[in-house]
Formats: sequence, structure tokens, C-alpha cells
Amino acid sequence: MALKIMVVDDSPTVVKFVSFSLKKSGYDVITACDGMDAIEKISNLSDEVSLVITDLNMPNLDGYGLIEVLRQNQQHADTPIIILSSEDGDDDRERGMEVGANSYLVKPFKASILITEVSKYLN
Amino acid sequence: MSENQPLQYRIQEEIAELAASVNQIVTKFKELQNPLEESREKVPKATEQLDKISEQTEAATHQMLDRVEKIVQQVEDSKKGLDEIKDCASDGRTGDISALADDLIEKANVTCNDAYTIMDALQFQDITAQQMNHAASLLEDIEFRLQNIMGALKDQPDDKADDENGRDRKARVYDPHADLFDKKTDQSAIDDLFARKG
Repeated sequence: MALKIMVVDDSPTVVKFVSFSLKKSGYDVITACDGMDAIEKISNLSDEVSLVITDLNMPNLDGYGLIEVLRQNQQHADTPIIILSSEDGDDDRERGMEVGANSYLVKPFKASILITEVSKYLN
Repeated sequence: MSENQPLQYRIQEEIAELAASVNQIVTKFKELQNPLEESREKVPKATEQLDKISEQTEAATHQMLDRVEKIVQQVEDSKKGLDEIKDCASDGRTGDISALADDLIEKANVTCNDAYTIMDALQFQDITAQQMNHAASLLEDIEFRLQNIMGALKDQPDDKADDENGRDRKARVYDPHADLFDKKTDQSAIDDLFARKG
């Protein structure tokens, strides 16, 4: 059975691009448009999410908030989380690391780099 | 002298009222100065963002057109290769077919990689959408401040300023620094930072 990855981004373009790249590499993908949507979907899932890929700037609940909520949940305390963001400043990366992300990719990025990053945690 | 006194008082009162009015006007103009200065700073920022959108959209489009041109050429070459395979099969030259097929597989791989490059480049939409949201937000701020100034000049609160001219202001979430080409940090430096944490 394919490993399930959650992709969280308010840009439909990014969601489509990332989902396509992951599916081509054999992963199962579930998508959410912001942090709140992600929490709702992840809570209602019967099977495990192996990795989360999230944007930072999103309405309702941003990426930092989402990571904090996931890290406080025992089930997702160790789930690998990759941040995908166009925020390129030191503060953003430091904060991403502090809240518990495992990796940080700056947009725009190559699909091959994302797949390599995902493989680091799932293979 | 006593007849002049009421007139003198009236003149003094008029002058005092005039001075108070001038003071009010000066205060009002000082209040207007800040929003005007902020607006003056925001207009060039919005213009800069719009210029950036134009440049980056053009660059991404050129990048994609170059790849599409390459893909079309590869498909044309592949069609020729298939014709050759057909000729080989009809002439009974089966030994040549394997090499031709390998060549076609290689071309297909290159075409696939070019298609991925186009997909990578299509991310410009997300970046420019953020840049446009930033520019729109700056312009909305200017509109709001100008409406407030108009209200102040009319010496009455401008009802339109409160509700943004009757329109609902769109909630905009964006990265003001989003850029298609100008990355401040190398990805390997970011990876190092996260590796040290791990």
C-alpha cells in the first residue's frame, strides 16, 4: 500500500504541482487548503499520514500553527514535516525549526528536489 | 473711547475665533500629513511589485516556450524514427530496429524531463499571485487613507471609508518577499541549519 502524504497549501497551483510529482513517485496524496482544513482532515483519517508538506502563509491557520498543533498530538509528534515557502528569511527558517519542522524548501523549487527530500524520510 | 470698546471686543473675539480656526486647520493638516506620506511611500512599492510581476511572468513564459519548442522538435524526430522502424520492418532489416527503438526511448526520456521543467516553471503563477496580492493590498491601503483624508477635509467622518467604499475588503494572505529568481539563501545552507537541529 502506498504511503500517504498530506499537502497543505492555499495555492491550488502548488497543490496540483506537488500532488502530481508525489503521485508520479508512487505516493498517495491527501490535500488541504489551510492549517484548519489539514487538522480536520487528518483527524478524520482512518489510516496514518506518513509525512506532511505545508506552506507557511495561509488563511485561518498558518503553517507554524499547524506544525505546533501536530507536534502536540502524540500521533503526529514524530511525523516528518517539510515546509514549502516563498519566505526566504532567516527568521522564518529559525521559527520553522523551532516549531518542529524537519526540512524547509524555498519556492519555487524543482520537483526532483522535493522528491529527494521526501525520500530522505520515507525510504 | 467707551463707544469703541464693544467694537474692540468684537474685533478681539473675531480675531480669537479666526486664530482658533487657523489652529484647527493646522492640526487637521498635520493629521493629514502622515497618511499622505505613507501613501506616497506605498505607490512606488506597488509600482515596483507590478513591474516585477511583468518581468517574472515574461521570463517564466520564455523559459516554457523554449522547452515547448524543444519538445515539439523531439516529437518530430521521434516520428521520423518511427517511420524508419516501419521501413526496417517492411524491408526485413529487423537487426536495426533495436537500436532505433533505444534512440526513441532516449528521446522520450528527454521529452519527459522537459515536461517536468515546464511544470517547475509553472510555479511562477503562485509567486506572481503573491506579488499581485501585495500590490493590491498596498493600493487598497492608499485608497482607504485617501478616503479618510477626503472625510477629514469635508470635516465629517466619511462613511465610505469605514466600509471600504461599500466593498468587502478581501482577506489577503501573501509573502511580500515572494520572488521567482532572487533567493537569498542557498538550499544547502538551509539543509545544514535543519541538520544541526536534528
